[in-house]
Amino acid sequence: MQVIIIGGGEIGYALAKALAPNHELFVVDNDPAVADRFGLLDVEFLTGSGTSSTVLERAPIGECDLLIACTGLDEVNIVACALGSQLGSRRTICFVSKEDFVQTSDGRDSLSEHFGIDQVIWPEAQLADAIERIIMAPGAVDAGAFAGGEIRLLEFRLGEDSPLVGRPISELDLPYGVVMAAVHHGETTSIPRGRTVLHPGDKVVLMGNRKAMNALQGQLSPESTHRRTRLVTIIGGGDVGLRLAQHLEAAPGIRLFVVEHDHARGQMLAATLANALILEGDGTDLGLLESEEIGRSDVLVSVIDNDERNLLSCLIGRQLGVGSVITRVSTPGNLRLFELVGIDVALSARGAAVASVVHQIDGGRSSLLQVLEEGQAKVIELTVPPGFRPTPLRDIEIPDEAIIGSIVRGAEVIVPRGEDRIEPGDRLLVCATGVSAEEIRSLFTTSV
Amino acid sequence: MRLSIIVKVMGGLLRVFGLMFVWPMAMGVYYREWTDLGGFLLAGLLASAIGQAMWLGYRERELDLRRIEALAVVAGTWLVVAILGAVPYVWVGLSPVDALFESMSGFTTTGATIFTDFGRFGRALLFWRSLTQWIGGMGVITLFVAILPRLAMGVGQLFFAEAPGPTDEKLTPQIRKTAAVLWRLYAGLTLAEFLALSMAGMPYYDALCHAMTTLAAGGFSPDPLSIAGYDNAAVEWIICVFMFLAGANFALQYRALLGRPGLLFRNEEFKIYTAIVAGAALLVTGFLWSGGGELAVALRQGLFQTLSILTTTGYASVDFALWGDQTRIILLVLMLIGGCAGSAAGGPKVARHVLIGRYTLTELRRTLHPRGVLPVKIGGKVVPDDVMRTVLVFFLFYVLTFTLCAVAVILLGADLVTGVTATMATLGNVGPGLGLVGPMASYGHLHPLSKLVLTGAMWVGRLEILTVLALLRLEVWQSAHWRVKAGR
Repeated sequence: MQVIIIGGGEIGYALAKALAPNHELFVVDNDPAVADRFGLLDVEFLTGSGTSSTVLERAPIGECDLLIACTGLDEVNIVACALGSQLGSRRTICFVSKEDFVQTSDGRDSLSEHFGIDQVIWPEAQLADAIERIIMAPGAVDAGAFAGGEIRLLEFRLGEDSPLVGRPISELDLPYGVVMAAVHHGETTSIPRGRTVLHPGDKVVLMGNRKAMNALQGQLSPESTHRRTRLVTIIGGGDVGLRLAQHLEAAPGIRLFVVEHDHARGQMLAATLANALILEGDGTDLGLLESEEIGRSDVLVSVIDNDERNLLSCLIGRQLGVGSVITRVSTPGNLRLFELVGIDVALSARGAAVASVVHQIDGGRSSLLQVLEEGQAKVIELTVPPGFRPTPLRDIEIPDEAIIGSIVRGAEVIVPRGEDRIEPGDRLLVCATGVSAEEIRSLFTTSV
Repeated sequence: MRLSIIVKVMGGLLRVFGLMFVWPMAMGVYYREWTDLGGFLLAGLLASAIGQAMWLGYRERELDLRRIEALAVVAGTWLVVAILGAVPYVWVGLSPVDALFESMSGFTTTGATIFTDFGRFGRALLFWRSLTQWIGGMGVITLFVAILPRLAMGVGQLFFAEAPGPTDEKLTPQIRKTAAVLWRLYAGLTLAEFLALSMAGMPYYDALCHAMTTLAAGGFSPDPLSIAGYDNAAVEWIICVFMFLAGANFALQYRALLGRPGLLFRNEEFKIYTAIVAGAALLVTGFLWSGGGELAVALRQGLFQTLSILTTTGYASVDFALWGDQTRIILLVLMLIGGCAGSAAGGPKVARHVLIGRYTLTELRRTLHPRGVLPVKIGGKVVPDDVMRTVLVFFLFYVLTFTLCAVAVILLGADLVTGVTATMATLGNVGPGLGLVGPMASYGHLHPLSKLVLTGAMWVGRLEILTVLALLRLEVWQSAHWRVKAGR
């Protein structure tokens, strides 16, 4: 596939890195300085503006299968995509960061209608939504819900005294209807086996039907079952902070504080948000955080566009006694570092967005449901083709690095065991790492 | 402040005002009240002549009113209009002070009267009295803005200086069209009430007068016993409906009529206004019922009197001055609330009370969160600081003006209840008070100076105080000059 990437920033680089091995890539950026970075990848770098047709023709745009615009400027991305689809690109994906461009009038998507853009990706919104999911699942470091909420996914970080630690998984008495889908140990994510032993500090991804998962959540984080108003503090009322605050305001039982240092932005937040208390000040201002008793918060989320300040706010919050701290990370390299120094959850806006684009290009007909651990693992959904011969699960050779978490058959949700059969028309929720997603997909398409 | 422009604009408005006297003259011809015609003719000619002279006296090309000049035009116009409107009363033998009081009471839609013996006055004059309220209800300036094409610049200043309540609502981008739309709605509602009252059995003449004074939230009635004189339950219910509408924001009603009735109950002020009407009416009904009345009658009188006082109309379906203290204090509180912003009602307005309440709560909260960003909101929208400040200042001056006027009236010989309620009723443009100025009594017995003080209270109250007070600053008059300097 021939792909043009416009914008050589963090997103462009991450995309190029993921796509370069299998595709013919052109990267366009008007800053020659970033060319060096791309020199190590097998891509063609073009210096110039992505909104110039002469530059795009050099790619050449007429034979391009996909144009991805991911510069830091929404307007540039939109113009580049519009121009690209005019000049013959088969498909266009546009990254935006402001709500203005995503909002639809009369429920119509104005970007696709007026500019011929096939897909709009809004990383900040994805980040805000991910943080919201995590906040709504107390105790967990990641969360998801599939099949209309019948299947839940939770990721937990294991403490010293966790009941899951120290014994092989086969000896643990996990509730019926729960599958351990992935384990993150050290720097790697893998699919666990029966003999895998978990250690304190590991993160485990569990998937299962709603009832069993709720019971499990009560076991693993007893505080989550308390029914009381939860205090959430958001440091930074930018695009991510505002969207998160708007969503949390709509949820019951949450009281919100938003700390914003810019006066005008603070006024705007206070005008937009109906119930949140906006505090004007810096998220690292100890006096402010103490006088407002931010330490009583159950969750502190720091989503400023500056890693160092985010880290500092979170550490202060932790010192003041906040239950759990979540932060946004801009530089991918900081992710692990942040979690090492005690941040409960560190997320980057780009990780999930990049993984979803890569999955679209390489993932074929399966659909991506959730990205785990910044793309190290993912949950995908496969539909078993009509010609598939019903087979018990134990007779199917599932790749090592994948696991079938649940089977959705009509309205029924099955958390499979060896004797459960896979039938045509079933939808399979698969957790897989790396390339195994591709393998398991071919497993169910070639057997037609 | 350029006096030449003020005079020119006022002249333009007065020329048109002269034409208003045609209507009572037509009425006089119809009822063959030939002797009264002279007063209207004189007033009409005076208005047109003075207006024409003021208009032609200055050759300003650009009528670009500045804010203070707009205030002066509005305040001045209302005063001059009231003076000219008093001429017909003087013609039939009223003293100039009484005539001015009655005229000002009409234009400001107060409805306080010095009339005692209604038999002395012809139908043309009583029609004129109702017409003054009808004109004043939507606003003298609004009327002129709607029909005068010449005023291009500064129209907005004029319009909002007169508009009741903290509002800056425009229905169309052009003020002139907004004014015209509002007048059409107002006239349409008046016509609807006229038809409804006629069908309920009220004579055409009375139905017309009452329709005009209900929609204006005015309260003048050609019957000395007000609505009680008709003893007709259907009439009272109909008037209740239209008083409620007169006290609600007209722009909002227009939008609701355009096919979005849901807007009414998404408007915070309208919701609170409705709640106040319902709550107060139930309380009054309860007290009247427990006092031995029949439930149906108590309910009708309770609702009618609640609406009449809250919307500052001032009709009486019963002599509420004779009610117990529990019900009377409720009516006094309603006088201090008033109707909605952008309505025909007077008083401080529901919106201002809501803002003051929110502001107080916000300030309490600020003591807990000194660094919190805590804006005052109404209907989900932030109220700008300058609006909030104006509202606070309005209340301060409302209380101050009230105190000064009440003290003056009482020192001039009125008893305490009469003095206090007369001031409340005139400053809030309600009309009848309690005691000796109750709904079945009149202001006629007050000291002439008291009448002048209360005339001033009506004027200041209708223009919502700040419009007038700004003009009392010495520097405004120090900077006043007649000619625009050469070379500009």
